[in-house]
Amino acid sequence: MAYDCADDMVFGRCKHPISYGFGLKIGAGEVIPELKYAPRPGTEKDPAKLRKEYIDYISTDALNRAVTAGFPNVQLETEWVSQMNQEKLSAPVVAGQKEICEKYHEEYGINCGVRQTIPDQREADRGLRLGQDTLHSYPEKFFECCDIACENGADNLSVESLGGKEFADYAVTHGDIIAFLFGVGYLGSIDMEYIWQQMVDIAKRNRCVAGGDTDCSGANVAMFMAGGFLDNDVQRTFSAITRCIAAARTLVAWECGATGPDKDCGYEGVICKAIGGKATSQEGKNCQCAHCDLQGNLTAQCCDLWSNESVEYHPEFGGTSVQCWLGSLGYECSLMNTALQTGQEKTLRDLYMMSDRTRGPEAYVLAYDHAYEIGKAIAANGNNLYLRSKAAAEKAIEILKNGYNTKELMLTKKQYDVLMDADKQISALPTEEDKFVEDCVKKFTGVVPNFNMKNYGL
Amino acid sequence: MISSKGVDFSKILKRYDISLQNDMTPEAAAKKMLPKDPVFKEIAECVMYKKFKEIGPVVTKALKEKNPLDIINDGLVAGMEVVAKLYADHVYYLPDIMMAAKTMEIGIALAEKQIPGGRVTKGTVVMHAAEGDPHDIGKNIAAVMTRSAGYTVIDMGRDVAVTDFIDEMKKTKPLFGSGTALMTTTMSAFPAEAKLMQEAGLTMPLMACGGAVNREYANSFDLGIYSQKAPQTPLIAQKILDGYDWKKIRENWDSIVKGE
Repeated sequence: MAYDCADDMVFGRCKHPISYGFGLKIGAGEVIPELKYAPRPGTEKDPAKLRKEYIDYISTDALNRAVTAGFPNVQLETEWVSQMNQEKLSAPVVAGQKEICEKYHEEYGINCGVRQTIPDQREADRGLRLGQDTLHSYPEKFFECCDIACENGADNLSVESLGGKEFADYAVTHGDIIAFLFGVGYLGSIDMEYIWQQMVDIAKRNRCVAGGDTDCSGANVAMFMAGGFLDNDVQRTFSAITRCIAAARTLVAWECGATGPDKDCGYEGVICKAIGGKATSQEGKNCQCAHCDLQGNLTAQCCDLWSNESVEYHPEFGGTSVQCWLGSLGYECSLMNTALQTGQEKTLRDLYMMSDRTRGPEAYVLAYDHAYEIGKAIAANGNNLYLRSKAAAEKAIEILKNGYNTKELMLTKKQYDVLMDADKQISALPTEEDKFVEDCVKKFTGVVPNFNMKNYGL
Repeated sequence: MISSKGVDFSKILKRYDISLQNDMTPEAAAKKMLPKDPVFKEIAECVMYKKFKEIGPVVTKALKEKNPLDIINDGLVAGMEVVAKLYADHVYYLPDIMMAAKTMEIGIALAEKQIPGGRVTKGTVVMHAAEGDPHDIGKNIAAVMTRSAGYTVIDMGRDVAVTDFIDEMKKTKPLFGSGTALMTTTMSAFPAEAKLMQEAGLTMPLMACGGAVNREYANSFDLGIYSQKAPQTPLIAQKILDGYDWKKIRENWDSIVKGE
């Protein structure tokens, strides 16, 4: 564990700060707004249009607003649209963003940089590894995108990798926690080892920072489908457990040499920060442009970057959408940084956390004191991908049960039933990795669509 | 950590999920809906209770005394209708729907083999996730719900090339086509597909759905109609079956989905 106790964790500071871009220092005493955006439909059709959208409109508008409002730092994140797997579309965008950041840094002294998040288009049915996908060659294109990003000036190379997605989809729609544990905690982690060893090499070769990953395609799908108080598709006790399993997977990027900050939509970042001490990007109340969740304040508790998740570029009354949402982010960061400067950061951290702590099971397990305990359970199992994922699930269940039994956390009957069912299933798992894998292969072959052990080198 | 002693959390948040929870049991909800005939009732209960391992023997036994089409309509589909009601009443949830649908489909596959020429469904629907889009969980859920409502679904999978989708539409001439997109830059496949459909003389609606798509976008091109959530798709399908074209679907969209 990077921290001696949960109370040592705060926003804006981490054990291993990282510098990149034009003056950005992440986790070194300030929380920095991270703005993410999507181009308007149709702009992806030709390179000139796409470059104009990203550089002349989105990046320029954002940097202008940052200066206008007096924000000292801003990180942009370009999450590549799928068409950017073609160099003619992506290279001018990456190079153009580098150029405009340099211009604003030189003219105004604003610290800025760009996270380039490449698309993971690999498909389980075609193959996740090099040489397997003979139709689209998506694995090859994946690593080509890393090269293009780094060679053209990315400050931070990141991805939302999809390893284990075929299991996550099945697990979430069928309420099968073992499928999630096997697919995301075990197979997904193996896939992350495969891609991140190579991504870190590519980043190092190009003097780019290898940032991090997220289990967006698994735990976030569960969280979004669990939704809010009027949604009924997935139980929030289930999604809370998936989030903790996801932490064991997201951690792999850092173990492979990525230096952080990880990705904003990885709500598991607080658990990873407790273990690895690297910077984490988080999103919450200021990402309402993308989605509503039940921990809008709480996720700010230990963040180092604070993100809006994503907004499509369009006009609003207050400027363009990127300007409006950067304003929202920037002022929240300003509040956090004021707390840091006045020595009130732990008070503000606790207020953020307390306001959402019992809003639902997901918030409850992510409250920093609980996140720390889950981190300890993962760390205690070292490099064993199965046992640490299992330990994360067990600890999450224990925390939720304890919260319910002490009447701190309310659960609906269905949420409680699902929790107890997960408890029963996880408790029955073997302690031997080989036995677990053997059982899962037997159970899920022919049941989970597109399940193929060769995708994971097994 | 600062103390929460004395804090009135009711001033901070309200757990509407707790206050709104439905304590109805599946048994109570299903009481009036299950078939009276004991053979069909046993089949319907298998679906309702998601007994996918038991449905095979139960249907095989029933086939000895009942017409296969009746087994499908009065047993399997009747059971799924109970499940849909339980879902609508928040007694059942998505995993229940998925498992019940799986149970129903196992039963239908067995019964169908006894129907010469196969079973006639309400209609065929072609579904896909847009070219370049690897996200298809929403499409998969919609496919299950549409199948459960009595339609044949041709599921083309994800990242489907525009040309492949058009070829399938020309070949199948379904009741309607449906596509999902999670990304703003992949949803532009839908107007392109609609244009090619029109050039090929196809006039059935093209339902645009998925996280990136909104109603305004789906209605921005000819043939385009919208479905916001998977449970809305069978409701819209029924209206198309009733003869509504894409313009009439758009005009009556709010009343068709009825807040579903």
